[in-house]
Amino acid sequence: MKDVLEKNFNVILSVAVKTVKLRYKNSILGVAWSMINPLIYLMIFVLIFSQASMGIENYPLYLLTGLIFWNFFASTTVQVMGSIINNAGILQSMNIPIVVFPVSILLASLINLLLSLVPFFVLMLFLDFSPGLHNLEAIPLLVLFACFTFGFSLALSTLNVFFRDVGMLWESLIPALFYLTPIAWTFNIIPERFHWILKMNPLAFFINGFRTTIYQNEAVSIENWGIILLITGLSVFVGMFTFNKFQRSIFSHL
Amino acid sequence: MADCLIRLRDVDVSYYINAEGVNSIKQYLLNFGRNKLFVKKRILTGLNLEINKGETVGFLGRNGSGKSTLLRLISGVIPPENGELEVKGTIAPMIALGVGLEPDMTGYENIKLTCSLMGYSKKETKLYLNGIKEFSELSDDSLKMQVKRYSSGMKSRLAFSITTAKQPEILIVDEALAVGDVAFVEKCKNRIHNFKAQGTTILFVSHSLEQVKSICERAVLLDSGKLVMDGTVDEVGKVYNKLLVS
Repeated sequence: MKDVLEKNFNVILSVAVKTVKLRYKNSILGVAWSMINPLIYLMIFVLIFSQASMGIENYPLYLLTGLIFWNFFASTTVQVMGSIINNAGILQSMNIPIVVFPVSILLASLINLLLSLVPFFVLMLFLDFSPGLHNLEAIPLLVLFACFTFGFSLALSTLNVFFRDVGMLWESLIPALFYLTPIAWTFNIIPERFHWILKMNPLAFFINGFRTTIYQNEAVSIENWGIILLITGLSVFVGMFTFNKFQRSIFSHL
Repeated sequence: MADCLIRLRDVDVSYYINAEGVNSIKQYLLNFGRNKLFVKKRILTGLNLEINKGETVGFLGRNGSGKSTLLRLISGVIPPENGELEVKGTIAPMIALGVGLEPDMTGYENIKLTCSLMGYSKKETKLYLNGIKEFSELSDDSLKMQVKRYSSGMKSRLAFSITTAKQPEILIVDEALAVGDVAFVEKCKNRIHNFKAQGTTILFVSHSLEQVKSICERAVLLDSGKLVMDGTVDEVGKVYNKLLVS
């Protein structure tokens, strides 16, 4: 796999750049859309939940730090999921490794996220955010989060070739997952004895991690780093395993 | 013995097709254990073929006889199920009627994208840009337009110009001359002849026996996934004509 990625680095890069360019090509607001989506959510939740006090200090900032990364996860999985079937034409006529397309789309999403982080940072300053050294821990966390997202979406994109139902199912599960992940709420409002259920959701660890480093400006505990590493490894393994297992039969379903 | 570029030994290719054409997990779960999810369908069976450097080979056969699958196999898009496949040399992909073109991007952007998909560096792309522009005869204005506004003829002009910008060792032409006006088809044929003169191996698929005759010396006839005949264009052409009538 590493070989394939190195050899096709130029191809991956140009497909990624193309994807970023195309995503907002026919829209007036362009790249701003990657900000507007979380902003709309932010407004809705602040309006609704600021009354129901959950004991969260600076709720808008709390919400935003979760939303940015949730939005990355949700949009990346959906886009990577379609990356193989959407490029059927190219895959059928050119000898390009299939995995190039999922990787390119992931890269495009990352570029998009990094671009939107600049205005988000300004917005956070408006929301009384004070930067600190522990914020830097968000960088390795983001790398792991991208790997986690990729592994999972690679499995989705492979299975989606055989059954388009996978795509439909995932798209309808996303809103449910949003409410199951502590983005608009916090673990504290749930009784302790149910926490083990919440911890079955790997996303919770990432979102809580981003919260710890950015919103609280504190270090992520060794224990949580361990869990996050484990989840990431597992996701990448599952993704690669699924892809390798079915790779050969993909072409007959394009 | 001449330089053998492509060698197929007892190659089989199969597609896995959804059973009963139902693209859904639900159906499978409902029928659990009673039917298989995918049915194997042989497309190519026991293929033996050797093509030497500099040969021009036409592939004849009815619709669905496996011509395109064979070419995809040779270009490395489809892996063989059984048997051995050996291909040496660079292959130019023949993007059928501009499939690989991105409709929302301009002609220029598409040239850059397709070139990088074909593995050319930015430097090489720059080098070929003028040649592509010239050969396609598309004006600067057209090339600045989104490809979705192109006619099918313009798309095939662009696609042919890009994929043949650099002389490949193996050129695959799959019905690529079906659209485009007479003058452009002539021009494409000339380019193919030039490549041929310079030693490019050419694999040519067309339903028009005339075109095959004008380009190829050798022809291969396929029928329901099997290689029926391999010989000179004239010999194979006769059998092909009979096959069409029967």
